[in-house]
Amino acid sequence: MQLRLSLMGAVLFALGLPVLAHHSGAAVFDNTKKIDLTGVVTKMEWVNPHAHFYIDVKDSTGKVTNWNLELASPSILVRNGWKRNSIKEGDTVTVTGSQARDGSNFGIAQTIVFPDGRKLNFLSAYEDGK
Amino acid sequence: MRTRWLTGLALAAAALAAFSLLAQDPTGDTSKGKGKGKGGGNIGLYQRQPPTPTGPAPKLADGTPDLSGVWLGSGASDADITRALKPGDAVVMLPWAEALVKTRQSKDDPEANCLPSGIPRGSPYPWRIAQTPGIYFIVFEGNIHSWRQIFMDGRKHPEDPDPTWYGHSIGRWEGQTWVVDTVGFNDKFWFDYVGHPHTEQLHTTERYTRTDLGNMSIEVTIDDPGAYAKPFTTVGRARIMAGTELLEYICQEDNYDLQHISGPAQGPGGSTR
Repeated sequence: MQLRLSLMGAVLFALGLPVLAHHSGAAVFDNTKKIDLTGVVTKMEWVNPHAHFYIDVKDSTGKVTNWNLELASPSILVRNGWKRNSIKEGDTVTVTGSQARDGSNFGIAQTIVFPDGRKLNFLSAYEDGK
Repeated sequence: MRTRWLTGLALAAAALAAFSLLAQDPTGDTSKGKGKGKGGGNIGLYQRQPPTPTGPAPKLADGTPDLSGVWLGSGASDADITRALKPGDAVVMLPWAEALVKTRQSKDDPEANCLPSGIPRGSPYPWRIAQTPGIYFIVFEGNIHSWRQIFMDGRKHPEDPDPTWYGHSIGRWEGQTWVVDTVGFNDKFWFDYVGHPHTEQLHTTERYTRTDLGNMSIEVTIDDPGAYAKPFTTVGRARIMAGTELLEYICQEDNYDLQHISGPAQGPGGSTR
């Protein structure tokens, strides 16, 4: 199997908890608490030090939970191909990542996949990390 | 199944290798010559960047080295200041400092609280040097979007400066090297994510040398007899980011993460002392 990920990509997709610019990612998120969520975007916050977006996730009983999902800072994101409207309210997305250590409905959005196959990650719009 | 397991192992190994590179190289060049097609490679956290410009180090009209440009990198490892030292140097903490590092918590890191990083701690964000007559400025995108002023008019340090986050800085040229001497620090900032402390006795000497158009070597001598048994010198470098300007980063805007931070002070990969 070809490993097409660069070293940077490996950081993003294997550990997933890199430096988050002003604190350790491992101090906030637990890499052993994996999340895999599909839901509808309810809000995008293009703010510092981290952008956030929120999704409503419906479970098998119909109960809806709103998740807060974290990205890098806007200045990092735009240098890596993101735009402030790369994710919009109403979009359906599938997000994988890690949950906050405190168990709240808060996580780091390691990968974001749209129904048409478009992909983003918490740092970059470049799928292959290059 | 076995293939997936092996793939996972390979990715984890690659990730650890990348973190090691980030720790040793303040510019965080994880591309190492790969992935530079379609306009460039990785510089730090930034992907598809234009190649680092090449050519001789530029000079101003009066012959002074020209330090302009958008730089990424720093003179020390912000993960752990002990990781990038001048050969032969060692960080030897006094007993109280060693005990303090072991008890520090990530949530108390001033950097995580959107307070200044001090010297020599860097950040993943770029910065500029502005050279004006008699005074130079370092303008940070990160590091709470702040700035430093370095007096170049020959003045001395005040006799008893009020302690501040960036201290009182005076600069001079030694050949092609810009030397910045700073005293008058407060004792609040941490040298790194793992929490190396300092006291108000801290005296730093930074040496910036633009070795060519795209690269700068940076050495910082840390002398703090209040916290360390002997001075030590960190080594690092910065690279020009050719395809960008400084952007806005207002850390205080929505520091949501702070309430979720827990555990001992630790580096990006979870390393502690």
